[in-house]
Amino acid sequence: MAQETTTRERDETTHRFVGQPTPRSDASAKVTGRALYTDDIKLPRMLHAKVLGSAYAHARIRSVDTVKARQFPGVEAVVTSADLPAHKKNPSNRRGIIFPDDEALFFGQPLAAVLAADPHVAAEALALIDVEYEPLAPVVDPVEAMKPDAPLVRAPLHDIDRSEEQGHVAVDLESGNKEDRPGNVASETPFKRGDVEAGFAEADVVIEHTWRSAMVHQSYIEPHSTIADFDGSELTVWTSTQAPFYIRDELAQTLGLPENRIRVIAAEMGGGFGGKIYLTELMVSALAMLVRRPVKYVMSRHEDMLAATPAPSAHITLKTGMRRDGTLTALQSRLIYDTGAFPGAAVPAGATAIGGYYKCPNLDIIGYEVMTNKVSVGALRAPAAHNATYAIECHMDMMAAELGLDPLEVRLKNAVEEGDPMPSGQAYPRIGLRECLRAISESSVWKRRSATKAAPNRGVGLAVGGWLGGLQPASAVCCLNSDGTLNVTVGAADITGVNTSFQQITAEVFGLPLDRITVTYGDTKTAPYAGMSAGSKTTYTVGRAVKLAAEDARLQMLEIAAQRLEATPEELETVDGEVRVKGSPDRAITFARLGRWTTNFGARYPAVVGRGAISATKAAPGFTAQAAEVEVDSDTGEVTLTGFAIAQDAGFAINPLSVEGQMQGGASQGLGLALWEEMLYDAEGRLLNGNLLDYRLPTARDLPPIETHIVEVPSEEGPYGARIVGEPSIVPGIAAISNAVADATGTRVTDAPITPERVLRAMGKI
Amino acid sequence: MRPFGYYAPRTLEEAVALLRELGEVARPVAGGTDLVAQMKEGRAKFRYPDMLVSLAGISEMQGIDFGESAGLRIGAGTRLADVAGSPVIRDRYRALADGAGLIGSVQTMNMGTIGGNICNAAPSADTAPALLAYEAEAVIVGRDGRRSVPIEEIFKGPGVTALEHGELLAELRLPAPVPNTGSVYRRHTPRKQMDIAVAGVAAVITVESGVITRARLALGAVGPTPFRARQAEATLEGSRANDDAFTRAAAAAANECSPISDVRGSAEFRQHLVRVMTETVVREAVLAAGA
Amino acid sequence: MPKQIINVRINGEAHEVAVEPNWTLLETIREALGFTGPKEGCGTGDCGACSIILRGPQDERGRLLTSCLMLAPQADGAEITTIEGLAADGTLHPVQQAFIDAGGVQCGFCTPGMVMAATALLDSNPNPSLEEIQRGLAGNLCRCTGYTKIFAAVEMAAQRMRSS
Repeated sequence: MAQETTTRERDETTHRFVGQPTPRSDASAKVTGRALYTDDIKLPRMLHAKVLGSAYAHARIRSVDTVKARQFPGVEAVVTSADLPAHKKNPSNRRGIIFPDDEALFFGQPLAAVLAADPHVAAEALALIDVEYEPLAPVVDPVEAMKPDAPLVRAPLHDIDRSEEQGHVAVDLESGNKEDRPGNVASETPFKRGDVEAGFAEADVVIEHTWRSAMVHQSYIEPHSTIADFDGSELTVWTSTQAPFYIRDELAQTLGLPENRIRVIAAEMGGGFGGKIYLTELMVSALAMLVRRPVKYVMSRHEDMLAATPAPSAHITLKTGMRRDGTLTALQSRLIYDTGAFPGAAVPAGATAIGGYYKCPNLDIIGYEVMTNKVSVGALRAPAAHNATYAIECHMDMMAAELGLDPLEVRLKNAVEEGDPMPSGQAYPRIGLRECLRAISESSVWKRRSATKAAPNRGVGLAVGGWLGGLQPASAVCCLNSDGTLNVTVGAADITGVNTSFQQITAEVFGLPLDRITVTYGDTKTAPYAGMSAGSKTTYTVGRAVKLAAEDARLQMLEIAAQRLEATPEELETVDGEVRVKGSPDRAITFARLGRWTTNFGARYPAVVGRGAISATKAAPGFTAQAAEVEVDSDTGEVTLTGFAIAQDAGFAINPLSVEGQMQGGASQGLGLALWEEMLYDAEGRLLNGNLLDYRLPTARDLPPIETHIVEVPSEEGPYGARIVGEPSIVPGIAAISNAVADATGTRVTDAPITPERVLRAMGKI
Repeated sequence: MRPFGYYAPRTLEEAVALLRELGEVARPVAGGTDLVAQMKEGRAKFRYPDMLVSLAGISEMQGIDFGESAGLRIGAGTRLADVAGSPVIRDRYRALADGAGLIGSVQTMNMGTIGGNICNAAPSADTAPALLAYEAEAVIVGRDGRRSVPIEEIFKGPGVTALEHGELLAELRLPAPVPNTGSVYRRHTPRKQMDIAVAGVAAVITVESGVITRARLALGAVGPTPFRARQAEATLEGSRANDDAFTRAAAAAANECSPISDVRGSAEFRQHLVRVMTETVVREAVLAAGA
Repeated sequence: MPKQIINVRINGEAHEVAVEPNWTLLETIREALGFTGPKEGCGTGDCGACSIILRGPQDERGRLLTSCLMLAPQADGAEITTIEGLAADGTLHPVQQAFIDAGGVQCGFCTPGMVMAATALLDSNPNPSLEEIQRGLAGNLCRCTGYTKIFAAVEMAAQRMRSS
């Protein structure tokens, strides 16, 4: 099975719980089918919603005739924009819109809903709604859309709300929203440094290529699903989301309810990867408020592919120059991201990735967020970074090859380190890019490289990737129970096993076994605040709050114990469920006694409630280096992965089992984007492959076991030095595969996914 | 799925009578892996049925029988997993085992039937090229009793077969294998499994004293129906079994296919695949004939 | 359409349930009978999250199948095992335990189907190679793990089942 290593700076023996591979606390419920996801929840009198999607990518809606649908037996309501109170009108962002009043902007955009107790009835009645469309010219290609004479995707935008993107990544933004100029460009992100022309002039090799990467779907296995219930005063929403507090805030603004009367409960979630922030909650809440009955909406897979928030395609032109000694001298790039019918593509993150991995004195980067009549996009694990990384990481290999240099050495020579500027000018804190490169050079995939390359049609490709991560405040509460066990409550949805890491952190603070600690995700009414579980920041931020809460609760316990043990708190320690005097293990009080003393009738001490709250201001960027080993069938163009290795800087792996899982999972998604995944649209803007047969996720047959190398370069603020983990692993996959295919065949594929047909075309065989 | 009525006859006779009585609003269903998926997403290539007649409980449609002289009989209701796993099919009709064993997942093969794979009449049906190359006969049951039709005459177009309404495919009969014969089916898909053939090639080749005495080639997913590559067969028959012959057959096969461009691949790509895969498949079948 | 009565045994317990012909077996198990283990990820047999083991009246042994593609009346007379029926007397099945121990579970949505597929594989092949594991699980998509730890879990379960 795959090799696993951890490269640590610190002493292995200092920690008992953090740093140990720990099975997830929720795994037992998940392997028995007991874990409850949104669609597993049923409420009395609940209605099912089915939603009608636009049959055109761009059309004026002349009328929506619902008479026949309303008369269909079993139908409780048919709802169009005319039936809903005026929410935000002509919103610039999709999250302010339920059903459009008069203009459909993408194929599959929700136009109306049918509610019935029986979902089959609702589905049947849906077919009876008669929409009269006036088709308008759809704008499908983003490059065409930028031309001055291109038809407009939609009416001009105002006040673009960027709050969702900012949950994923904290880039210093100078980008301007171009709402003042009617056109299809929603925003521009320019980054400049030095003089690129001078930089190219001093280079010994200058190359320029265009790199295209497809629109792709997060493809969580659980489609979007939401239940809402409104009792006339309070709104409760159960939903599959990464962002319960964000949803609460948005619903409050749009529906005009105070935040204290909205309870958003993040149910167990079947995958999100950036795509489950806020989508169907507004519609379902509005429907529930209208009919005063609980309403459930579960997207079909087809609907999810048509009308959720997939990730943008990109068209990136890159020109780079390098001196004979391998020094990068200049980088110029124009990045075009297709954001679909509403803004939302994280272009600044792409522009940061393309110029942010290497020291380069001369930069000229411009990123465009371009609208088209396609579904609007959202985040997918390090949004926009994989597209940009494809370009820069192929260029590094191509320039190294032209100069006869080793691809790993060239990267080491130029790799950014602490203090170097990002494209925005912001300086990097301590990072582990070089350490990742050194670790990947020790992987079995890289070490057997010469033997691999000796075989025909086989090759190895290297690529790096990085991600800044997001920053948001976080908080946690830690309470002592009367039997000496501990309850920790957080408001962050657990999407990656963070609750297990929080359990380990609490165990470490107290020296208490894991089974004596329970971590509970609360909801927006019962839990202290946490930012969205996105931007790789949950352990980094909420973990810090948990540690503070545990330390606070422990101190409260020590202070009580100190009075009874006739010692100062500083003289005490917590070991195996007891507070002891250091050096005198006989002088001890069990946590259970402390629990009783702080909870029972007439107890003389206040209940122990530890509080932890932080504001996160320092990014802890995560880097990764990956090596792909492939065999290319020169007859069919088929690329077979024969090995894959990933090294990633986790700062400190609180739960190495989870960290490896995040590395392998992200890497597998990068490989999906590299080889198979692509949303295909026709000239009319209709999705052609909205199912999991024709939108090809990698199967168990397609991926080899993925070798992991955890690198630990501590962050400044993260708990025990942990830094962001979730996202970097997806970033370099496409580039690593393109480089491996080039190594195997001498042929460069510049369009992703790197399909057999594209390989054959690049080889000149068709 | 929109509502429909459901019947589960126990015999072929009963099923045929039911289908006739219910009329064209009724449709037979076997494993359901293709039909139910199509009905769900409203992307059915056929009129949405008011009635489904399940063939799953009809025992006379089940089973695999083999005799050295009689050849192979496969009930149309036999599951793909049973076809792919049958020792006699693996041993004597390798290309058919190859094809049946490539369809979807373990789950698909545990539900889907060989009759369903044929009657859906997808140009990409993975058992079709092998059945064509073995010159299988389709036994069809209708109101006038049984008739036997060469499998080649079954496929009329994408999703269209020669079966009239009220007729059912009861079984497939494959002639006894000729000695010194090898057979292979290969397909190209972007993923290694869970995918639809972009091109598929089956070959059944008899070699005597280094000479190809009989060649049957069939192609899938590169025309409106799976079909026999007769020009390619002609280039092989009578030739010595060498690289030159394989190359000529490959060129002929590429020449006689008429693929379309769609989301799964361009026409050019498919034609290229037919050429390179035919060469490989014929070579492997020749090797198998020797073994 | 009028409802039809079907009789099924699920995890050893007999159920008589009135179904409409256009209900899938998955809907019947989840909505009519209240099980939550089998999941709907795609509805078209492409993801495997709804996988169960079913033994029909004519079947010699149980078969792994996608319950989203089976019509409810087609299951009449069947014995069905869902993920809820794997653990015996409160002890997890070795495959379930190995998925926990090896880190084969992340979001958990594919897990019930994946565990059923792994169980069906080991029932017929107690000592599978990596390639046989990959073939056996190819109908079950997992988006979180990249499969590596799932392969490790199946190997761990196989090893434990052989040695016990």
